[in-house]
Amino acid sequence: MNELHADDAAEALAEVQRRQQQVIDQATVPGWYWWSVGALMVVLAAGVDIRTPAAIGGAVAVFVVGLLSATGLVVRSQFLRARLRNGLLDGRGVVAILGFVALIVGCTLGLAFGLRGAGVPYPATLACAAGGTAMGLGGPVLMRMLRRIMLGNRAGSAR
Amino acid sequence: MTAARFDELIHPPTRLAIVSLLAASQWADFKFIRDSVGLSDSALSKQLATLEQAGYVELRRAFVGKRPRTSARLTPAGRAAFEQHVAALQRMVAGSGLTIAPR
Repeated sequence: MNELHADDAAEALAEVQRRQQQVIDQATVPGWYWWSVGALMVVLAAGVDIRTPAAIGGAVAVFVVGLLSATGLVVRSQFLRARLRNGLLDGRGVVAILGFVALIVGCTLGLAFGLRGAGVPYPATLACAAGGTAMGLGGPVLMRMLRRIMLGNRAGSAR
Repeated sequence: MTAARFDELIHPPTRLAIVSLLAASQWADFKFIRDSVGLSDSALSKQLATLEQAGYVELRRAFVGKRPRTSARLTPAGRAAFEQHVAALQRMVAGSGLTIAPR
């Protein structure tokens, strides 16, 4: 150990951080996933707005199959590589995820009820189009935030 | 605060890369580790066997469909040794005034 110089130690620490970053980066949810979920929300809402049993049944089926397929693809690709250690995502990450979901759901519902109150046709579809767009644009922002938190929590990071 | 202890077994570059990958994972797939670190199957098997013998790594062999799949993870002892090793490196760097810049 005595023969190890400080610059060698710094290089080793940089390698430690870089390798952990590799694991964190491969676990990022891809941008297409957020847009897919947004589009599926619109399909579901359109079924609800049309109000025929066939439309509702078809929309629910598309939503469930689409969501399971998209989520399955993302989870499977991570399962085949590496599963992130739980400790990387601390309370801030959980708050960010819950806040993101609450914001999307709250704004979408609020907009839908507002549009319906104003007598606008297809209020749920229009609100979900806005909510889905927010999800498509906001998902990658959430991912960047979570990535920053996880990079800060990896071993060897200054905390 | 983690105690600092330089670990000769972890420190060689290849093993440091493997253990660092595992430190951020619950489980990591053999192929993912192999491709990330740029080793052959046999070279990675050898390194993992060394870490397993030291009690630092646990290997899990399973079948996905008909295909065999090997995953690895750090044991609690391996994680503790890694964190102590990182603390030892940090202490050395802190004493020198250098900064860490991941590529």
